[in-house]
Amino acid sequence: MFFHIVLERNMQLHPRFFGRNLRENLVSKLMKDVEGTCSGRHGFVVAITGIESVGKGLIRDGTGFVTFPVKYQCVVFRPFKGEILEAVVTLVNKMGFFAEAGPVQIFVSKHLIPDDMEFQAGDMPNYTTSDGSVKIQKECEVRLKIIGTRVDATEIFCVGTIKDDFLGVINDPAAA
Amino acid sequence: MEKSGPVQRTVVLKPFIKLVKLLARAFYDDYTTKSDNQQKSARIDNRGIAVVVLDALTRRQWVREEDLAKELQLHAKQLRKIIRHFEEQKLIMRDHRKETAKGAKMYSVAVAATTDGRAEDKVKLHTHSYCCLDYPQIYDIVRIKVHRIKKKLKDELEDNNTVQEYVCPNCQRKYNALDALRLISMEDDSFHCENCNGELVVECNKLTSEELVDGDDNARRRRREKLKDMLQKMEVQLKPLMDQINRVKDLPVPEFGSLQAWEARATIAARENGELGPNDPLRSQGGYGSTPMPFLGETKVEVNLGEGKEDVKSKGGDSSLKVLPPWMIREGMNLTGEQRGEVRQEAKFEGGSGEASKLSDDKKSSMGNGDEKDLKDEYLKAYYAELLKQQELAAKLNQQESMAEVTPETQLATTSSDRQLGMKSKREEEDEEDVEWEEEAPASANGNYKVDLNVEAEASGGEEEEDDVDWEEG
Repeated sequence: MFFHIVLERNMQLHPRFFGRNLRENLVSKLMKDVEGTCSGRHGFVVAITGIESVGKGLIRDGTGFVTFPVKYQCVVFRPFKGEILEAVVTLVNKMGFFAEAGPVQIFVSKHLIPDDMEFQAGDMPNYTTSDGSVKIQKECEVRLKIIGTRVDATEIFCVGTIKDDFLGVINDPAAA
Repeated sequence: MEKSGPVQRTVVLKPFIKLVKLLARAFYDDYTTKSDNQQKSARIDNRGIAVVVLDALTRRQWVREEDLAKELQLHAKQLRKIIRHFEEQKLIMRDHRKETAKGAKMYSVAVAATTDGRAEDKVKLHTHSYCCLDYPQIYDIVRIKVHRIKKKLKDELEDNNTVQEYVCPNCQRKYNALDALRLISMEDDSFHCENCNGELVVECNKLTSEELVDGDDNARRRRREKLKDMLQKMEVQLKPLMDQINRVKDLPVPEFGSLQAWEARATIAARENGELGPNDPLRSQGGYGSTPMPFLGETKVEVNLGEGKEDVKSKGGDSSLKVLPPWMIREGMNLTGEQRGEVRQEAKFEGGSGEASKLSDDKKSSMGNGDEKDLKDEYLKAYYAELLKQQELAAKLNQQESMAEVTPETQLATTSSDRQLGMKSKREEEDEEDVEWEEEAPASANGNYKVDLNVEAEASGGEEEEDDVDWEEG
């Protein structure tokens, strides 16, 4: 699920950036530092949408670096148990398959794939129904339901299922 | 010990007893106290012992475990093991208490007197355990048990929301699907153990482990069939239990409370019935020590703590400051309101007795009533009746009367001035109330009192006007 929230961060800025572009430098550094990171609490920071406030800088003794407390608005992505996601399959093996929904990795184990789909080993490992009408292989898009999440301090990993109504392959670029 | 009469009031125990019996037969039928390795050597089969214990408990309330063991002819240790099991299952309340066996204590004192050493370990208090069925909890436990069984079977049947588990065949280390990212190896497409790099295998469900060897389709289908079968069997076998649960659903649950509360109740009830002899089983069970000590102070104290509280409180208010009978009150006596019997009425208000409503209904007659009850003097009754009439007649002149009371001459006016004084003290407060409630009353009054009030009223009115002006300005 996506959230638009305000976060705060202390930015250390090198003295060479001090000047008329200080603020722009600060913001670009913030984007570089924060976007794409993941915290267990808030999830993945997808993008910074705005700066709320930049506090007074504090010069560090000895180094000359200045610390600015920056409040910024950002979009975060946090997967939840029970959530339905659309993901791209990245790896298929006999244990199941891995998929990615943006920054989140999801594993769907074999027993959470519908019973009528069989694993086919080979050059392009895939899960196929007996009549061959549905095929799950690398690069294809699936809709899945998250049934478990593991949230660490810096990463989030999910387990999903496609064994439910309206779940499964939604688009296969290889077949098209 | 099996006296359920005094403690049980309106709740019906029967259906709950049946529930417990069904529960015992459904889930604890094959419970054995022996652990698995012992069982092979054990010659006696004690299956069903748990059922016996539970049944015995349905016929009792709080019971000392030793007594229960004796009656069931079980070894105390064996019984304790079963009871502990049930405690873990939350079917039973337990209480442990250190008690002195009086005889042993006296003996140890004697020993201490004669010999110096080894006295301490003789004084040791014996811990006695008591247990009792916890009916409210049992009801909940049964329901959740059945629910959990059903859910487990259904989930497994549908493979719903289960995070797949993997186990390493070499080191038995377990993983689940959430670890998948760390477990995939680059060489082949299976999971490998972090410790020994062995290939992980899917851990099969415990219920049907013997069938599911390599998770192939055939085995899965068979497993599903078995699960379905189990579910159906369960429905059939647990039907009587479920029926009983539904029957019990709307009934009030029998509750015995904690051991102390139960004891207090039981003793009080027994005392009310006059049953509590020194050798009464309740006493010997509930009191301290196995030997009944009828004249022991401590037991009585404990009992009084339980229920007699309210009585003690209300009576305490009376006894602390004695209410003087009105004929004892003379002029010039420095009496508190309590002594004049005012608190007594308040206490009655607190007690919420029937007359409280009366008192609040009509103040004047209630005053009369209250006094009538306090005083048993016939003469006074007659006097008050007359006084009441007078009051009704002179209802408008109340204020005047109160004024008259304030002036010293009326205090000496009548022959029965002393009694009237007792009345006056009450009337004064009554009049005060009138002043507070009805603002018209002072208007009919005369003398300086009236003037005061009018002045007050005017002053307040003036303030209001000023307030209005302020508001307008603001």
